[in-house]
Amino acid sequence: MTNPQSTIRNPQSAYSARFKEHLTNPRHAGALADANAVAECVNPICGDRLQLFLRIRDQRIEAAGFLAYGCPPTVACGSVLTEMLQGLTTDQAQRLTRREIIDALGGLPARKSHAAALAVETLHTALAKI
Amino acid sequence: MRRVYLDNSATTPVDRRVIEAMLPYLTEKFGNASSVHFFGQEARAAVDRARREVAALINARPNEIVLLSGGTEANNLAIRGVAESNAQHGQHMITSAIEHSAVRGVCDALEARGWEVTRLPVYEDGVVRIEDVRAALRPDTVLVTVMLANNEIGTIQPIVEIGQLIQAERARGRKHLWLHTDAVQAAGRMVVNVENLNCDLLSLSAHKLNAPKGIGALFVRRSVRLTPQNVGGHQERERRAGTEAVGSIVAFGEAARLAREELDGRIAHLRTLRDRFEAGVTARISDIVFNGYREQRLPHLSNISFRFIEGEGLLINLDMQGVAVSTGSACSSGSLEPSPVIRALGRSDELARGSIRFSLGKDTTDEDITYVLEVLPRAVENLRRLSPLYQQAIAERTCVNA
Repeated sequence: MTNPQSTIRNPQSAYSARFKEHLTNPRHAGALADANAVAECVNPICGDRLQLFLRIRDQRIEAAGFLAYGCPPTVACGSVLTEMLQGLTTDQAQRLTRREIIDALGGLPARKSHAAALAVETLHTALAKI
Repeated sequence: MRRVYLDNSATTPVDRRVIEAMLPYLTEKFGNASSVHFFGQEARAAVDRARREVAALINARPNEIVLLSGGTEANNLAIRGVAESNAQHGQHMITSAIEHSAVRGVCDALEARGWEVTRLPVYEDGVVRIEDVRAALRPDTVLVTVMLANNEIGTIQPIVEIGQLIQAERARGRKHLWLHTDAVQAAGRMVVNVENLNCDLLSLSAHKLNAPKGIGALFVRRSVRLTPQNVGGHQERERRAGTEAVGSIVAFGEAARLAREELDGRIAHLRTLRDRFEAGVTARISDIVFNGYREQRLPHLSNISFRFIEGEGLLINLDMQGVAVSTGSACSSGSLEPSPVIRALGRSDELARGSIRFSLGKDTTDEDITYVLEVLPRAVENLRRLSPLYQQAIAERTCVNA
């Protein structure tokens, strides 16, 4: 049985293997030179920062890249988001939820779910620029 | 995968010699030290021997050692015990801004009960100033509690000077002013001598000395009166009730003996490896800041802020490669909790978030340091490659250089 306190005291124990894999081998890291939709959102309270770069042609996301500063979930959410976005239409991307990002990472501790919220906010900001 | 443990300020592995010393007291020598029969007296003799060793480690008298469950209990007994027995003489205490939470929490709790607490600054070097202590003293001050060495940055505080100041004040008639120091991080890593320090109370924890968790001690100078916080038994000369944890006490005694006898060698070993580590990091990684006064600090500890990245991410990256370190900062529910110690140095949130503590142990090897110097630069580089702050800094530098 999981001791709920143990995840509070030891943040690492709350992270899944998939999460750690994204953190150590982030996908699509870096700015896209030919991006046509770029957004940066910052969590004003904790200073977490996510930049998203999208190359969109004919309403479809051809490529995505990201840069992230902040706690590990911010990096992992950026990584998994860019992986999920590849090939999606902008409508499909618009419907991506915080829950789907968290599930794709194999879960996040509740106190770190703000990182997924930042990812969705950054995605919506980027899509609004098309 | 190779595993390197550089988190010895959190806890240390139990020395095999210590395990061997304690094992008989968990098996055939199992008596209660308060019993009058043979089994009890065997346990009592072992407790007495261990107490002498703990006392010898800090140059105290055996009857000035109260054995208890660890550093947190020692700090609770010292601060609450002195506060409660001296409340009629004043309700003001002085502490520093960089105390361990076991001291900070007790001070906060007393403050909530009406006590006044002055928290001294530590400036950029992480060291309390004796002038600030002097200026903070008031007629109603009954306790000064300042740690001997800090747990995150290792800076050694001027307890000798503070002790002299308190003694001088006492000589001038302030009979109810006491000095407590938390020496949990210091013991076994520097010479700790209560006569030189002039302190009245001093906290120790065994698990920082290669002994098991759950055992520690409070030095209480003979002249100090304090209200016990555990009552219901006559143990520890009425200062801490509860059946003695004989096996753990024996382990603590053996660990204290080994720490005393091997201290010079351990210090030299730790300093050599730590300095090699810091030189290696400086040569391989740019944009770093060392936290705390580097001239006067514990020999086993190095605290470094890596600019443009966040500590927890680096910690997990290193952990994935078998290297265990720690960070004092945390981001939780969208609120930033930078380490209070690093923040007390006047560092920015970015530097506080990017701080990592590397704490070596007596068993750390040269090969361990070589391995860490191999994986650490790569982990930092990987996180920086992702960091918009780093990319921005690179772009700005390119502009300046163009």
